[in-house]
Amino acid sequence: MADFRLPANSRIRKGVTHKAPSGARELRTFRIYRFDPSSGENPSVDTFELDVGECGPMVLDALIRIKDAVDSSLTFRRSCREGICGSCAMNIDGVNRLACTTSMHDLGKEIRIYPLPHMPVVKDLVPDLTHFYAQYASVKPWLVAQTPPPPDGERLQSKAEQEKIDRPAACILCACCSTACPSYWWNSDRYLGPAALLAAYRWIIDSRDEATGERLDALEDPFKLYRCHTIMNCTDVCPKDLNPAKAIAEIKKMLVERQS
Amino acid sequence: MAERPLSPHLSVYRMYRYSVLTSVSNRLSGIVLSVGLIVLVYWLMAVAGGALAYAHALAILSSGIFKIIYLVLLAAFSYHLLAGIRHLVWDTGRGMERAQSQRSAWLIGVLSLLLFAGLAWWMLCRAGGAP
Repeated sequence: MADFRLPANSRIRKGVTHKAPSGARELRTFRIYRFDPSSGENPSVDTFELDVGECGPMVLDALIRIKDAVDSSLTFRRSCREGICGSCAMNIDGVNRLACTTSMHDLGKEIRIYPLPHMPVVKDLVPDLTHFYAQYASVKPWLVAQTPPPPDGERLQSKAEQEKIDRPAACILCACCSTACPSYWWNSDRYLGPAALLAAYRWIIDSRDEATGERLDALEDPFKLYRCHTIMNCTDVCPKDLNPAKAIAEIKKMLVERQS
Repeated sequence: MAERPLSPHLSVYRMYRYSVLTSVSNRLSGIVLSVGLIVLVYWLMAVAGGALAYAHALAILSSGIFKIIYLVLLAAFSYHLLAGIRHLVWDTGRGMERAQSQRSAWLIGVLSLLLFAGLAWWMLCRAGGAP
């Protein structure tokens, strides 16, 4: 059911403020969600004033600067810093995006940073993605084929066949889309969410895969697939410009078409 | 270990996004229309109740407060109709790219205002006016 309020242990209390040293050239204020599991206290929102003239232009640069210079306990995931690993997905100024590809120039003087919405928080900006990954695994994101591959090479595709899976296969599993989806917020226990469904679609339309029927059977379920109400937040936020909403619509179409 | 807190969602997510706004308004207008059915049912009951009951209902239903209710219902109808058509188009898999759905959000916004203006004019000046 839709839970509009946060549970008692999740309500946010006032945090601390870290003032910038005087003489800062380019001051920005960051309001960052903090949660320390060892403190036993509720999460808080801390304020960091930072001279962003001393770091790179992206939000991730500022986070790393804060961790280096202000508060080393600030915890977040990051790796590639170029939008291909999907680690630094977070809610920046109310929208899910990758901190490494979000330029501070596109944001205001005050930047609010929260973990991906409606997820269990491990620490600060690190959400627990165990369930999200389990849902991804549940769509069997690998090639299923009884036919043995040709003895002298790979299973080939035509250019047109490859182009069909080109975009869906570019998903980096950052979880921006699924955690932007209100349906996923309220029903993630049974609804697979846009990321897992995009992955399912990528294998359903793969010309080399031979389990299309079984894959569709597995999705024909009022919750796994049909909790998608085409809100379009997924496609709106995808940092890789992919289209999970369209993938879900195509799966729904396939389920109708195979009945006739 | 203490239970993990749930990260904030509704309270932090940006509401003035085309995707959020159109979805929320579609639901809201749907709720308004469903509640508005009570007026229709009341009218039908009055029709079935005979001339006296109908005359009584007519006096109530043509009062000023009901004019405002009709305007709200017409606004909800205008938006809900166009948003529903947009969803039907989406169900065919068309118009789902980000730029396309941004454009169609503006389109149904403007068109529903025009439709509402037309319906409101018809109700206030023609249907609701003197015969």
